[in-house]
Amino acid sequence: MRITSRIRSEVSRHLGRMSGRAVLSLCAVSLAVAACDKSVGPFEVLPPLQPSSLEPTAGSWRMIALSGPTQIAVAAPTAPTSAAYLAELDAIKTSQAHLTDAQRKSIAYWSGGGVLRWNQIVRELVARYNLPPAPRDEGGYPVPDAENPFGDPAFPFANPVYAARAYSYVSAAQYDALKSAWYWKFQFNRPSPAKIDNAIRALIPVTDLPAYPSEDAVISGVTVEMLKSLFPAAVEEVTLKAAEQRNAALWSGKATASDLAAGLALGKSVAAVFLARAAADGMRSAGGSPTIWKAMADSATVRGEIAWTSLDNPARPPMLPLFGQVRAWMMSPADIIANRPDAPPSTSSQKMKDETAEVKRTVEHLTNAQLAIAQKWNDGAGTYSPPGHWNDIALEYVRDANMSEVRAARAFALLNMAMHDAAVGCWEAKFHYFNPRPSQMDPSIKTQIGLPNFPAYPSGHSTFSAAAAEVMSYLFPTGTDSFAAMRDEAGISRLYGGIHYRSDIDGGKALGGRVAGFTLSFARGDGAP
Amino acid sequence: MMLPRTVRAFTLLAAVAGSATAQTSADGLLMPRKVFSTGVIYTHDSWDQYWEGTLKRSNGNIGTLTTRSVTMAAAYGVTGGLTLMASLPYVWTHASQGVLNDMNGFQDLTLGAKYRLLRIESANRDIFSAFIVGTGAVPITKYTPDFYPLSIGTGGGRAAGRITLNFLPTSGWFITGSSAYTWCSNVRLNRNSYYTDGQLYMTNQVAMPNVLENSLGTGYRRGRWQLPLSLVQQRTLGGGDIRRQDMPFVSNRMNFTRIEGGVMYALNIPGDFSVRVGAGHVLSGRNVGQSTTLSSGLFYAYHF
Repeated sequence: MRITSRIRSEVSRHLGRMSGRAVLSLCAVSLAVAACDKSVGPFEVLPPLQPSSLEPTAGSWRMIALSGPTQIAVAAPTAPTSAAYLAELDAIKTSQAHLTDAQRKSIAYWSGGGVLRWNQIVRELVARYNLPPAPRDEGGYPVPDAENPFGDPAFPFANPVYAARAYSYVSAAQYDALKSAWYWKFQFNRPSPAKIDNAIRALIPVTDLPAYPSEDAVISGVTVEMLKSLFPAAVEEVTLKAAEQRNAALWSGKATASDLAAGLALGKSVAAVFLARAAADGMRSAGGSPTIWKAMADSATVRGEIAWTSLDNPARPPMLPLFGQVRAWMMSPADIIANRPDAPPSTSSQKMKDETAEVKRTVEHLTNAQLAIAQKWNDGAGTYSPPGHWNDIALEYVRDANMSEVRAARAFALLNMAMHDAAVGCWEAKFHYFNPRPSQMDPSIKTQIGLPNFPAYPSGHSTFSAAAAEVMSYLFPTGTDSFAAMRDEAGISRLYGGIHYRSDIDGGKALGGRVAGFTLSFARGDGAP
Repeated sequence: MMLPRTVRAFTLLAAVAGSATAQTSADGLLMPRKVFSTGVIYTHDSWDQYWEGTLKRSNGNIGTLTTRSVTMAAAYGVTGGLTLMASLPYVWTHASQGVLNDMNGFQDLTLGAKYRLLRIESANRDIFSAFIVGTGAVPITKYTPDFYPLSIGTGGGRAAGRITLNFLPTSGWFITGSSAYTWCSNVRLNRNSYYTDGQLYMTNQVAMPNVLENSLGTGYRRGRWQLPLSLVQQRTLGGGDIRRQDMPFVSNRMNFTRIEGGVMYALNIPGDFSVRVGAGHVLSGRNVGQSTTLSSGLFYAYHF
C-alpha cells in the first residue's frame, strides 16, 4: 500500500508539533490502516485430485437417460506404437518444454477435478442470472427470452426451480457421460501418456486410469453443451473454460490429442441425449398464461380459501406456475400427485390465524441469532439459490472424500436429481393449493428477507433441504446429524424471515423426505459399490 | 462537534454543514481552548429515485426510502489548535412501499482529532489556515450490512485522513476546500457466498472499497451568524454496480455529487447555546439514492 505509507510519512512529519493524545490516536489510525489486508478468498480450495479408487466397474453402473454405456459408440484408439500416436506424444513433450505461467495456472486449476470445478462455475452462472425481470415503464413485466438471452431481461431468470433443473441436467448428463467413458476406458485400456512415455512429465497426479477417452474432455464436452442451452449468454466463457480444461489435460501429460478428441465427441453426444429430454420435459410451458394463473386462483377461491396474490409492486406473474408438470427424474407424474402434501390449514381456520400470529410475533421480536439464520439460508434473488447452497455444502464433502470423477458425478447427480424432483413436487403442491404468504394474510407483517413471488405452501427451502439432507446422509453417513441440523435450520429460517408459516416448513420437509426416497431407491440399486 | 458525514451512504446521507461550535470534519473551524461542546442533531433524509448502476429509476417495492437519525455529538478544544471530536447516531430506516422490514439502531461511533497545521494572518487580517483531521469509526451494535437499502450502515470499521484548507478574509466571506481518503475494513455477512462485481465470492467476508471525498465550500461568517454552502463529491474507489433489478449491496460503487447548505446562529441567551439547520440534495450519483436531506441541531458549550 504505497499510498498508505506516503500518508503515514506525511502524518509523522507533523507529529512533533502535536499533543501526546493526538499522536496516540493518529498512530492508532495509521496502524489500523497499515494492518489492513482486504483480499478475500481463495475460495473452496481444490487440491490436486487423487482419487481413492479407479472405479473399474463404473461402466456398468445404471444409466439415467442413456440406454446403456454403449449407446454412444467410441471407436478403438490407434495402437500406442503407431506413428500417429507417437506424434501425439511428441506434441505433448513440445508443449511441456514451453509451458507459460498461464498454462501452469490452468493445469493447477483443473487438477482440482472437472466435476468440482464445473460445479463451482454453474453456481456462479446461477447467481449471475438469478434476477427477476425489471418492470416495464408502461407496466407489467417482460418475459426472459431464450432467443434473446443478452437482452433486458436477460435469459434465463435462474430462479430456484430453474436452477434446480439446471444443476440436475448438468450433473445427470456428466454422470451418464462419465459412466460411458469409464466403460470405454476399461474396454481399450490405453494408459495415459505420462505412463507410456518417461519423457512426458506428469504435472498433476496421474493414475493408472486408462486415458482413452479422456474423462476431462468428456466432462468439458457434455458440460459446455448443457450450459450453452441452459445459460446461452454465457457461451463464450464456458466454451473457453471447456477448451482450457482439455488443454490442461494435454499439457499435464494426462491425455493425448486423440484421448481428448474421443472424449469430447462422447461428451457432446451424451449431451445431445439430455438436451432432447430437456426440450420435451415441459419447461417451455412452465410459465403458464394469464388464463391459467386465473384458473389457479379461482380454484382456491372455489374451495373457500383466500387465493395467493403477488405482493410485488407492480404485481408480478407467479414464478413458473406449471413447473409442477415438468418431468421429474425418478418420479412419474402420478408419483408427484400421490406424494402431494395434505392441504395446509384453511385460510379461515383458527390454526391459520395462530400461525400468522406466530410469524408476526417472530419477526417483531427477532434476535440477532435468528436474523443471522434467516440471512444464512436466504439464498434469494442474485444468489446461487437453495439448490446451489446444497451443492456448496456437498462440494467440500465430495472433495474431502477423494472421489474419482465418476464417483463425484454420481454424488452430484443424485443430490441434484433429488432437488429437481423436490422442486417439481413442491411447485405442484404450491400451485395446487395457491396459499397466501403471511404478509398477504396480515399486511402488517414485514419481512427480513425478500418475499418470494409464489404461493407459500409448502416451503421450497424445506422441500429442497429435506431432499438434499437425505441424499447427503446416504452419501456421507458420518454427516447425517449435521445434514439434519442444516435441513431444520434452513426450514426454520423462513419463519424467521417472515415469509413462511410453520405448516409450510413441516409440509415441505415431509415432502422432501418422500421425494428423496425415490432417488435413494435408484441409488441403492445402481450397481455402484 | 463532528457531524456524521457518512461515508458510502446508500441509506443515510447524513447531516450537512457546520457551525462555530458544531463542526464537521471538513470545515475550517476549531473549538477554543478548554471549551467542551455537546449537542444533538436530527437528520431526515429521503429519496424515491435511485441509480441502479448508472440507470436512474424508482422501485415500487421501496417507494420512498426515509432515513432518520439522531446524532449525539461532542467536541473539545484541547488547545486552540487541536480539537477532539466524537459522534454517535441512532438511525431509523423505512420504505414506504413493499414488505421489507424497517431497521433501526445505534450505528457507528466516530472519534476524531482535528489539528491546525498552519495559520497565516496577512497584514490586513485575512486568515489562511490548513488542517489535518484523523477519524476512526466502528459500529457499536451488530446491525446487519446485508439488507440494503434498509441497512443502517456498512457494518465495518473506517479510518480517514483529511486535509482542509480555509481562507477567511475580514469581509466574512470564506472559502474552504477539503479532501478525505477513507480506508474501509472488510465487512462480514451472515452468509457464505455472494455475487458482486461480476463474480461469485465464496466467503462471508466482503472487501470494502476505499472512498475519496472532495468538497469545495464557500459562505459567510460574521458575529453570531454562519452560512456555509458547499459541493461534495464522493468517489468509491472500487466495487460493483447494482445489477438490473438486484438489491443494492454493501460494497457497491457508491458515488455522488451533492450540494449542501446551512444556517447557524448562536443564541443570545445565557449558557452559549447555538442552533443550526442544514439541507442537502444529491445532484448526480451511481448506486445511491437521489436523496434530499434536512437537518437541525442544538448545541451547548461549556467553558472550563
